[in-house]
Order: sequence, then C-alpha cells, then structure tokens
Amino acid sequence: MNARLTLIVVALGAIMIGGACSTPADSRAIATPPDAASFGHVAQALVRHCGSLDCHGTTKRNLRLYGNEGLRLAADASPSIGVPTTDAEVSEDYLSVIGLEPEILSAVVAEGGARPERLTFVRKARGTESHKGDAPLREGDETDVCITSWLAGKTDVARCDLGARQ
Amino acid sequence: MNAVRYVLVTSVIAIAAAAMSCDPVHSDAITALGGEAPGVGTGPEHRGGQPCLLCHDGSLGSPAQFSIAGTVYEMPAPEPATPALGVTVTFTNINDKKTFTATTNQAGNFYVTPSQWAPSYPITVSVSRNNTAACMTTHVGREGSCAGCHVEPVGPASPGRVVLAPVPVDGGACSQ
Repeated sequence: MNARLTLIVVALGAIMIGGACSTPADSRAIATPPDAASFGHVAQALVRHCGSLDCHGTTKRNLRLYGNEGLRLAADASPSIGVPTTDAEVSEDYLSVIGLEPEILSAVVAEGGARPERLTFVRKARGTESHKGDAPLREGDETDVCITSWLAGKTDVARCDLGARQ
Repeated sequence: MNAVRYVLVTSVIAIAAAAMSCDPVHSDAITALGGEAPGVGTGPEHRGGQPCLLCHDGSLGSPAQFSIAGTVYEMPAPEPATPALGVTVTFTNINDKKTFTATTNQAGNFYVTPSQWAPSYPITVSVSRNNTAACMTTHVGREGSCAGCHVEPVGPASPGRVVLAPVPVDGGACSQ
C-alpha cells in the first residue's frame, strides 16, 4: 500500500515538474492567421514604404522589416548591395507583422478583413494615429489596398506590386 | 514681490533644465561621440561622419538646429577616409519631386537649416561632382543625419559611409 502511495506521489511530482518545465505554446501562433503564401507581395510593398533604415528597417522597432530597401537579414549582407528581398526576409517580416497585435489581427482576418483600422499598424500607416513617420500610405492607395486585401484573404497582387514600385 | 518673481523664474529654469537632461538615451548617445578631434574646433568642419542632428536638434550649437546634414567621402576605403570637397548633395522629395541642394566643405560636411529648407519626407538623395555621381537606391523616411544610418562598418543595418563613388554618370546626375 505504501509502495503504491509512493508511486502515486512520485508520478504526480513528475507530472508537476514536467508541466513546470514544458515549453510554452508557440506565442506566434494565432487563431486565424493571414495568408502567408501571398505575403511576399505584401512584404515588398511594406518594405518599400516603411522599411527604410531610419524607419522600420531597424531592429529597434517592434514592427521590424527586412528587405531590399533597408535592413538585411543575412549577416554578410548589406543594404547597399542591391540584392532583392529574400524568402527568409519575407518570413521574418510576416512574423513581425502578425506578432504585433495577434488577437486583433486574427479577428480582422476571421471577419474577412472587416474594419482593418482596428490594427494599429494600419492606423499608423494611414496617419490616423500618431506616427513619427507621418502617413506613408493613404486609405485606398495601392499599398493600402494591398494590405487590406491581404487581411481580407484576397491579396490583390497587382496592387501590391504597384505599391512596391511607387 | 521681487523675491517671489525671482523664485518663480529660477524654478521655471530649473524645471526646464531638469526636463532637458531627462533623456538618458539621448545623453548617452552624445557622450558616446567623444570629444572634438585634435586641432579641429567647433564649426562647420567639425565632427565629420557623426550624426549631426543628435546635437543640432534645436538645443545646442550654432546654428542650433539642422534639418538635414552629413559628411561625404571620396572613397569607401581605405582608412582614414578622405572628405569630399565641393560635392553637390541633392535632396528630392519622392512625391512632389521638389529638390534642394547643398555643397560640401573641405571637411566633406554639409548642413541645411530649417530656415533654408525643411524637408517633407520621404526623400531620395544623390551626391555629384562634375561627371561623377552616386545615388541612394532607397529613400530617407525621416532621419536628418546621414550618419543616422550611414555608419562604418558596412553590415546588414548600414551601407557604410556616404561616398562619391568614382563611377562616371552621364551628365553627372542620377535617375531618381
């Protein structure tokens, strides 16, 4: 009987220790993530308008954008070498964007992109919320449509590509 | 009455001074720049390659405030870098295409004050002299100090110092 009790106590202890040491759930996982496959087009427009070295092309910002307009991901890369934005940089940009306000982003995506202005990064980009970089986008312009269409799950690739060139 | 006024004025000055010294990040950044180079006094030729607007932000120096300023060098290497004299620095607003130019002095430095030009961002920048020009391939979003981004060594977060690359360009200009 004592042996069984000991066994139970040991098992409970092991479970508690295991729980205390377990890796937390991936904090980047969100309930309804926006499309990752088409994000490369969105990323290029974002990098163009927001990713210069003195804005979000820096590790000093919560919204951190890697790409060919500024900060590079590879240790041996440089902003001056003219290499196009890499897939690895797009992946990092995606994680940065979805990690800003995951719950709100999830809600916006789940509701088909409704009221994207709920997202701080949309408001700041449009200049409707205080933003040191003023308003790099205007509601309805190419890059704004690119972002909102992505949030709606229907990425307007053509508008994104136009936004990336403006 | 005079005593009250004196105390009031003194208090306001003390509060203002305290407020100005309450940004340790800014203070540390200025401290990190170090002292003046030997033989170079304060003035248009001092502190080449440093982020000018860190101090010339409206509170220090004469002129107290720059809207944009920096240093241009002849070549990316070798050290020590050679300042580029007589380089035309052209700023172009991306949206309205309006431009403003400044010229480097013998220290390679240039500066623009807000009364001369207050840029509306984003802008692109090119440097040129005779038939040689170098152009930024990206834009400036808000930083008025070239050295806010252009620092040595070259790396993922910096293209290195601003140089007048020895690449002949038709007409000495860049297509923005």
